[in-house]
Order: sequence, then structure tokens, then C-alpha cells
Amino acid sequence: MSVFRRKPRAIAPVAETKLQWSDDAEQILENGRNRLVVVGAVFALAFTLVGARLIDLAVLQGHDANQTALNDEQRPSAERADILDRNGVVLATNLITASLFAEPRRVLDAADAARKIVLALPELNEQEVEKKLSGGRAFIWLKRHLTPKQQHDVNALGVPGVGFRDDRKRVYPHGNLVAHVLGYTGIDNEGQAGIELQYDEQLSTVTQKASAATNGDPLRLSVDVRVQFALQQELSRAVEEFSALGAAGIVLDAVTGEVLAMVSLPDFDPNQARTASSNAMFNRASLGVYEMGSTFKAFTTAMALDAGTVKIGGGYDATKPLRVARFTIRDDHPKKRWLSVPEIFIYSSNIGAAKMAVDVGAERQKEFLGRLGLLQRAALELPEVGRPISPSRWGEISTMTVAFGHGIAVSPVQLTSAMAAMVNGGIRIDPTLMAKQPMDTPQGTRVIKTRTSSIMKRLMRLNVEEGTGSKAKAAGYLVGGKTGTAEKAVAGSYQRKALLSSFIGAFPMNDPRYVVLAVIDEPKGTKKSFGYAGGGWTAAPVFGRVVSRIGPLMGVAPVDEESKSVRNAMFIRVKAGG
Amino acid sequence: MLIHDGPGLTDVQLTLGQKIWNINWMLVLLISATAAVGFAMLYSVAGGSMDPWVKRQMTRFGMGLILMFLVALVDVRFWMRYAYGIYAIALALLIAVEFIGSVGMGAQRWVDLGFFQLQPSEVMKIAMVLALSRYFHGLSLDEVERFRWLMPPLLMMLAPVALVLRQPDLGTALLIVMGSGAIFLMAGVRMWLFGVVFAAVGAAAPFAWSYLHTYQKARILTFLNPERDPLGAGYHILQSKIALGSGGLAGRGYMQGTQSYLNFLPEKQTDFIFTSLAEEFGLTGALVLLSLYVVIIIYGIAIALRSRNHFGRLVAMGITVTFFLYVFINIAMVTGLVPVVGVPLPLISYGGTAMMTILIGFGLLISVYVHRDVRIPRRPGDSV
Repeated sequence: MSVFRRKPRAIAPVAETKLQWSDDAEQILENGRNRLVVVGAVFALAFTLVGARLIDLAVLQGHDANQTALNDEQRPSAERADILDRNGVVLATNLITASLFAEPRRVLDAADAARKIVLALPELNEQEVEKKLSGGRAFIWLKRHLTPKQQHDVNALGVPGVGFRDDRKRVYPHGNLVAHVLGYTGIDNEGQAGIELQYDEQLSTVTQKASAATNGDPLRLSVDVRVQFALQQELSRAVEEFSALGAAGIVLDAVTGEVLAMVSLPDFDPNQARTASSNAMFNRASLGVYEMGSTFKAFTTAMALDAGTVKIGGGYDATKPLRVARFTIRDDHPKKRWLSVPEIFIYSSNIGAAKMAVDVGAERQKEFLGRLGLLQRAALELPEVGRPISPSRWGEISTMTVAFGHGIAVSPVQLTSAMAAMVNGGIRIDPTLMAKQPMDTPQGTRVIKTRTSSIMKRLMRLNVEEGTGSKAKAAGYLVGGKTGTAEKAVAGSYQRKALLSSFIGAFPMNDPRYVVLAVIDEPKGTKKSFGYAGGGWTAAPVFGRVVSRIGPLMGVAPVDEESKSVRNAMFIRVKAGG
Repeated sequence: MLIHDGPGLTDVQLTLGQKIWNINWMLVLLISATAAVGFAMLYSVAGGSMDPWVKRQMTRFGMGLILMFLVALVDVRFWMRYAYGIYAIALALLIAVEFIGSVGMGAQRWVDLGFFQLQPSEVMKIAMVLALSRYFHGLSLDEVERFRWLMPPLLMMLAPVALVLRQPDLGTALLIVMGSGAIFLMAGVRMWLFGVVFAAVGAAAPFAWSYLHTYQKARILTFLNPERDPLGAGYHILQSKIALGSGGLAGRGYMQGTQSYLNFLPEKQTDFIFTSLAEEFGLTGALVLLSLYVVIIIYGIAIALRSRNHFGRLVAMGITVTFFLYVFINIAMVTGLVPVVGVPLPLISYGGTAMMTILIGFGLLISVYVHRDVRIPRRPGDSV
């Protein structure tokens, strides 16, 4: 240590030591020099490598990359694939627009330029424009997506320092029609809701080879705009007629699981999504979960028949209301007598359904509804899919209320999908919004016996002929279905006047292909409906009219409903032994 | 200038004036020129504005330059004497960061000293060079070739590396390992040992894989195939390549780069600034900057060669190699030659800590140059 501090002293070192040191030192230095050559060579190699890579990127691969970079610059909004309906009708595409930008550093007189620009584009605020123009930045957007006329007007001003870039605006030619399914995109064409969000990555990954015209591979949905239009129009009419809060409807292919139409009202225009209210954006068909009421009796009946706890010829006593603990279960249309299973179904007896479910038991009921997909979120390709609410403690009372669709809340899409399994021979298939190839019939899982499904078809047909669903008739299309009228639970208690009225059915009942659901949210009775607002008066007519309109579109051949063969196929004994 | 040949006149005491005269002013000029390129680029990526980066970067460079001169004027033997002490402080700071470090961007790398955010791993880069140089300075040729004398420096290297890896900061750990490796090489450790180490690393790689963080794995997978995740982990490197390609030979022109105003690249002012440079000045600009770096490195090597004491030579090489690694890894990274690791482009990228490390390193380099003719005995007390 001391060597650093001491002044140099003229030491006379011993000759040997000196020699040894200098030998060693020279050797170390020599060695170091050799090693330096190695390091230097590594450096040279590394820099050659980096230099070569730079040349490779900048010059040899430069052409391709140049192309891409230019495109990026000229098209600030990402390209995005089109969305088509099942028949190839364009549901969402891109419009090439011009977007106005400024290079504030090249603007000569910000105040004057702002005044002129606002003359051509009166919707802009002059102060804001001036602030943007005098910001000293290199680049700033003034307004995105100008119409050709606006572009012409701005061009005519001749303001220096502003210019246009080709931009892309997502447009939905059908406006409100498919709004909830499609969702919408933000200013830079990024998916914000619906299919646009669910498939954002796929839609925005446009292959470089794809030409601007095709925007890459379009996404084909299972939706049929014609069916969608019929459903939307009929539901809108009902909402107006019954002064309802809203409505939801679904048309599902019972064999393939494809959703042909999905409507939620009120709706919004995805072209102007930013101005829509959250109520309008809310997808009642998939995100909303509701107590569906009597439509659940179809599941209860099928469950009991399938489990064998009751035969179709059997029945239950419905003479007086059923008292369990502090609850009383009554019928809306009390017959005050013993009812057969078909009668329980067509008269929509709560007492009968509750007793049927108790015989099956809570465990089996829970397991059955689970298999129908009613206890977990629907596997639908939308971000907006609601989680069902089911009893946390599934005791006897729950078993009874669930039997007629209370104490359990599911989304309309779940209900429709489960009902498809009742009528398609007993196979449950996940609903999908993606178009399937004609040959691509999904396997699905069996949930009820084919025989049970056959009885269910007859029961549903019977219900339209003689029961609560008579207003659902659509001549020639042999419809069948079940009404539902649930009192809405508002702030913890059921409201007698606030109803969720629904009808779910299928056609043609001899070989059902399409399941249709119509739900009306809080309809008010009218003179025409004699003040009634239940499913049979409000939703069933919607169903009937929708089927009459879409039947021909889907190529379903009408049948003579009174013919002997049809009558035989749909025959069911209503009264035991009768 | 004093030149001593004979062993009797070894201890050189320079006056301050002589020292200042002895400073390698050409090197200072080169450093300043490179930093000026950095200011210009930061001005451009800010969209033509001194804020938010250029002003602060200039302040830091100014402070760093002063620090560099201070370090340069201190006798190289002072640095040798306190090498182990500096190393011990750096190690203590690294341990401290384990306990009291603040977490920034998901990694625990900083110690808050109240007035200054200190990144101990940066201090360690310098301390490691000093400590290893001092150690090897004290070894004879025979000793260097013996394995048991290699254990202490290996431990000296591995302890901080383990701590840095825990933060986690793979880039800095690699920098320290490679920088230390270069000193081992320069000190005369036998070549076949390096072969053994390379083989061992190769064999251990599959096991190390399982210890990597998810983001680190993603970076390596992305490196192997950037198109794997073009909007996620591969985004940087793809945008970077596009920008490099779009620059062509002559570039788009100053402030005309897409990166400056279209914001394709986050962090464009730090690790990926080379991209903007290559886009705006093209291949020509990139190669000019590369040449600046090469000249600085050649100066470093020359200073190492010129030093008449082993310690100075090792320090000069250690600093030069560290600088080289910064440059090489950063440019190789943005051009997609190596996976993305967080290594800034020295003197150009925005950021205070790396700038300080680099400038203090250059201070040491200049100090070695100023005291190039000082002879230092192998062991204190030995005659020279």
C-alpha cells in the first residue's frame, strides 16, 4: 500500500530481482498483446457482422420493408377484414376516406389557417384547431374520415401545412340491424365489442399479399340478415305495441347450433357507437340473464319423462296450492283438479311442474340442467356473454321454483340452445355465430332419449293447438312451443306488473330445424290484448309472424296441418286413459 | 511528458498541468461528437422539440463530462488502491437493492438515495473492471495459469451476477459476465478454459431455460421467429426492421422518420433509438455512427497497448470491452441479430445511469492514458 504514498526513493534493487521482474513483466505485457489481437479480432468480426446486417436490412431487404413502412404511414387506420353473413352479404367493411392532418411547423399563420379550416368544417372548434396548429409539433390529426365534399372544400382553401392521408373507416352498411352481434370499432379500427372485439386479432391480421379490395380473408358469420331483419322488425313492432322496455330474440339452427339471428332491443348504430347509450349497447340476448319462467317447464317435463319418474300417461294433483315452508306455489290458471302430464304442460301448471321436479330430486335436476348448459356461461363467440345465476343452496324449494323457471336466471341464448336439444332428437350442441360448412354437423352430447324428444315435440305442438301458445300459430309451418311469463325481480321482490314475457318454439314440429325465441321486457297490456301482457299475448304473436316470414326464406315446405299423416305424427293423448 | 525507461525511476508524479496536457483530447472530442448525434436524435424523436428529452440529456452529459475529467485526473494508482473498496460498496448496494430497492417496470433495480436514483448494477460494471484488474495485476504468469488462483476472481464475478439476475436483469448480468470474461482473457487465463466454459454454458442452456421469466422466454422465442407475435413481443423488432429497411441508403431525411410522429415504437428514445437514426439517415448515417464507435474502441485498445502497467492495461481493456458490448448488443438487438435485451446505445440513448457509467468508464480510460508510463509493482512493497 505504502508504495503509492511514498516519494520515489532511489532504491538500488538487487540485480536478480530486477531481472526477474522485468522478465516476468515483459512476458505479461507480451502475453497481453497477443490476447489483445484475439480481442481485436473478435471486435472486428462483430462489427463486420453488424455492418453486414445493416446493409442486408437497408439495401437488400430494403425494398419490401420500404413498401410496408409506406403503407403504414399512408393508412393510419389498420386494414381490417370484412365480416359477412352466411350468404356473403357484407355486414362490416372498410371505406377509404381521407383524414386531415397538419404539420404545425409548416403552418405560416395558425390563427388564419384555423379560421379558414373551420369555415370548411364548421363542426370543428376554432380555438382548438388554432391550438393544435400552433403547437410546434411535427404532425397532428385535425379530423379523421372526411367526406369527399369536405375534402374538396378544405383543399380549396389552400392552407399550407395541412394535408390528407388515406384512411380507413369501418362501416356497417346495415346500421342497427346486426349491431349487438357485430359490436363496433374505435377510431383506429380496433375492435371494441361484439365480434369485432372477439376476433380483433384475426380481423386485423391482414396478410400483406391480400389486395386492398378484399381486405384479407373475410369472416363469415352464421347470421342470415334476412332472418335477422324479420326478427328485428317483428320484435320492434311488439316493443312499440306493448310499450315495452326492450326485447330480445334468437333464431337458432337446432341441428348445427348456428345462430341465424340475434336481436336485442333497443339497439344502436355501430357506425356511431360513441353516441349510443349503455342501455342500447347492452346485449339482452346474450349478456342479460333473466328468470325465464314457464318455458323451463319444458325442461322439467323432459327431465321427469327421461328419468322415468312419471309416464306420459301419469299426472299430479293440482287441486290446491302447494305450501312449502313459508312459500305457496299456485297456478295462474287453476284447474283445481288432478292434471295429466300433457295438461300440466299446456295449462302451464306451476304446482304440477314443482311436484314433477321433486320426484326427480334436486341432485338429478341440477345435473340435468348442467348438461343442458344452463348452469354455466354459454360458449358463444362474443365477449358479452352473461353468467347464469343459479341457487347457491339447491334444496327442495329451489327444486320446485326452478321447475317453473324461477330462482334461476339464464341468458336467452342459453335457453334457446337448451330448447334445441329438446326438439332435435335430444342432442345438445354449443351455439355458434360462425358459419359452418354444410357437411359439418357437430357431434354434440346426448341429453335426453330420442323418445323423450319425440314426446316433447308433440307436447309443444299441442300447446300451440290447445294451450297457452295458440297465438303463436303460423299456418303451414307446424309450429310448437312454450310460453313464459316471469315476474321480474326488482330490488329483491317480484313485481306483479313488471313481466318478462316470452315464447320459445320450433318449426316444423314433425322434424324441427329452427328454434325461435322472442322475449319482451316489461310489456304493458293493451285493449287488443284485453289488458294481458303475458307471453301468450305478447311474445307468441311475434313468434308466429317471424316463423311465417322466415319459413319461406329457409325453404321450409309448408304442410297441411289438418292432414291425417300430420295429425297422426303429432298425436298425443291428453287425458290419461281418455 | 516524462518517459522513464530505467527501473530506478518508476514512480511518476505528474503536476495537474501535465495531466491536463496529457488527456487524450481526441477521445474527448469523439465522445462529445457521439453524444451530439444522440442529442440530434432525441430532438427528432420528440417531434422536433428540446423537451422532454434533449435538455435533460444535455445536462446529464455535462455533469458526466465533469465527472469524467475528475476521474481522469486522479492517479491511476489511487483507483488501484481502492478497487476492492469500490467493489465492496457496489456489492453492498446490490444486496441493499434486494431489500430496499424500488420496483420499476416489473424489476427491482434501483436504490433511492433521496436526491438520486442509483442503479447499483451500473456501479458494479465499473467496480468489477477495477477489482478484477487489480486482482490479476497481482498475479504472476505462473499463478494465472493455475486453477486455484482463478477461484477468487470467479467468485468476485459470480456473486454480483447472481444478485443482478435476481432483480431480474438478464442484459446487465450478461454484460458483466462478458466484460469480466474479457479481463480473464486479457490477463492470460489459458484459452482452453474458455472453451470449457463455452461448452458448459451450451450444455446448461436447456436447464437455464426453465428458470427464465415468461417475458424472457417470449423474447427469445420471438427472436427466433418475430412473426410469431407481430403485435406483442415481436412488435418492437418488426417495427425496427421496417424502419431500418425504409431508411434505405440515404434515409428519409432528418426529422422525416415515421417513428418520430407516428409512434409505432414505444421507448423509441431509449433502447431503440438506433432505429430512428437508421430510418432518418439511412445506411450511410448508421455506418457513420458505427465508425465513430469503432474509432472510440480503437482508441481504447491503443490506450491499453500503450499502458506500461498491467493494471492500467486491464482496466483500459475492461472499459473498452464493456463499451463495445453496449454498442454491439444494442445494434445487434435492433437489427434482429440477437434477442431483445435491455441494453441502451451508449452516449445516444436517453437515460442518466448508463450515461454516467459510460462517462466514468471513459474517465478511467483517460486516467490510464494520462498515467500510462507509471509502473506499478505486482505486490505493494515490491520494488519495480
